[in-house]
Amino acid sequence: MSLMTPGNFSSVTTKEPAASVPKAVPKPFPGIRNAVKITPAEVQLFSKYIYGLCGINIEASKAYLLETRLGKLLESERCDSFTTFYYKAKGDTTKLLEKQIIDAITTNETLFFRDATPFDLLRHKIVPEMIDHRATTVPNGSPVPLRIWSAACSTGQEIYSIAMVLRELLGPNHNYSIKLLGTDISDAAIKQASYGAYNKFEIERGLPQEKLHRYFSPLGEMWKISDEIRAMATFRKFNLMESFSSLGKFDIIFCRNVAIYFLLEDRIKVFNKIADSLEMDGFLIIGSTESLTGVCPRFIPKRHLKSIFYQLK
Amino acid sequence: MQSLKILVVDDDPVTRSLLTKRLAKDDYQVETAASGVDAVRMISHSFYDVILTDLMMPGGVDGIGVLETAKENNLKTEVILITAHGTIDNAIVAMKKGANDYLQKPINMDELILRLAKIQNLKHLMKNASDLRIAMEATEQASSETIQNLEMTVADLQQRMTAIRSTLERGDLPADERIALALKN
Ligand SMILES: C[S@@+](CC[C@H](N)C(=O)[O-])C[C@H]1O[C@@H](n2cnc3c(N)ncnc32)[C@H](O)[C@@H]1O
Repeated sequence: MSLMTPGNFSSVTTKEPAASVPKAVPKPFPGIRNAVKITPAEVQLFSKYIYGLCGINIEASKAYLLETRLGKLLESERCDSFTTFYYKAKGDTTKLLEKQIIDAITTNETLFFRDATPFDLLRHKIVPEMIDHRATTVPNGSPVPLRIWSAACSTGQEIYSIAMVLRELLGPNHNYSIKLLGTDISDAAIKQASYGAYNKFEIERGLPQEKLHRYFSPLGEMWKISDEIRAMATFRKFNLMESFSSLGKFDIIFCRNVAIYFLLEDRIKVFNKIADSLEMDGFLIIGSTESLTGVCPRFIPKRHLKSIFYQLK
Repeated sequence: MQSLKILVVDDDPVTRSLLTKRLAKDDYQVETAASGVDAVRMISHSFYDVILTDLMMPGGVDGIGVLETAKENNLKTEVILITAHGTIDNAIVAMKKGANDYLQKPINMDELILRLAKIQNLKHLMKNASDLRIAMEATEQASSETIQNLEMTVADLQQRMTAIRSTLERGDLPADERIALALKN
């Protein structure tokens, strides 16, 4: 933990205006931490910066979000104001600060088998239907491809839930060429997903005991996913604001609970790119409280039992 | 705050009674088992917040056995192992298997009470978090039903509108017939 000593920052080089920059109020007692407050101008500055980094839209009314989530970084970087921090981050050619800002600002909230119904849908309808469909188009004897993408996979629970369903549905020896891809913009999230270990809180959420014992083994305070399930998935850092052309096409796309952080215009762009990346007979699954009405008319919603999925028109 | 339910497992009657008395004094609900075998039976019948178990016990089920049964039964159970002096290595093995903590004999009661207070506090926080989560999930489920119904309704309406429009735009029928046909849709 750093103790901030005001007056130590004259060496920070900023060509930009310093005159209008509000100086942090000197601490009444040296060594006593006093959270740096963000000014309305700085809220604007950071909202724009963060929007540029990851498309996440932070409204002025959510200024506290910037304060609470970036406060620690400010402190460890020994910055006495958000403006100083801003220029330090922008000037950092290693981009490390930028990554840390993204890690801090993204909401990685997720759980195993979130909402349950999409995974039942996958097991009972989507995968069997897809396989039947594909079997007729693939030359005899060659493996049927099945490419699934979790477009904001956070710490991996979504893609591993999918992997467990597939493992149970198809068994250990099958003749499918399965590719599971998890992407997220947060390095920290991808790192955890890729390592595949979860703490007690994380495994208590959504994961039935029977699956925990079957697919995980204890590792100190954590639980680690089995090599078999881990090997089914690959992870990679990816920003949904970019072009999707490097990713190729998918049969099934999960894009859940991420577009809610974007502006409507960006949601429209993202779902259009998803439409381009989906096979003609592919399936799209979005978050249970999300809607594509007014976002992407290329998709039509379809209902199966208690869940909704989307297909191209 | 609900007080913790604790199971004390030790083959030594003196340790058992010392622990029971001290814990009861702090209002913890205490039960005891005189062997690992007894403990395993009790764990499968009832939930304990904390299990305080001796590591070395005769009779086929030792502290590690108790730990494993406890964790298999319910991950919310915290297990604290009591080890004889000089058996740290065993304790470390146990920690790797999911024990939450270990204490060395002779047990420092103040230390034990402090650790239990910490566990109590943590459980309380977890309960808060889980209440919040349950409330959030309920809200989320209700709103998701509404949203999904709307989504289907809107899609259906859009489809009908498109059909009506194309009927109205048909060039092969007179206006009144087109309108009649569109209305029938
Ligand atoms: C709430 S989580 C959703 C996780 C999972 N899909 C689920 O529904 O449980 C949202 C994730 O979106 C990621 N994210 C935010 N903006 C992104 C962007 N521009 N590109 C890729 N991922 C992004 C965040 O890092 C975060 O992990």
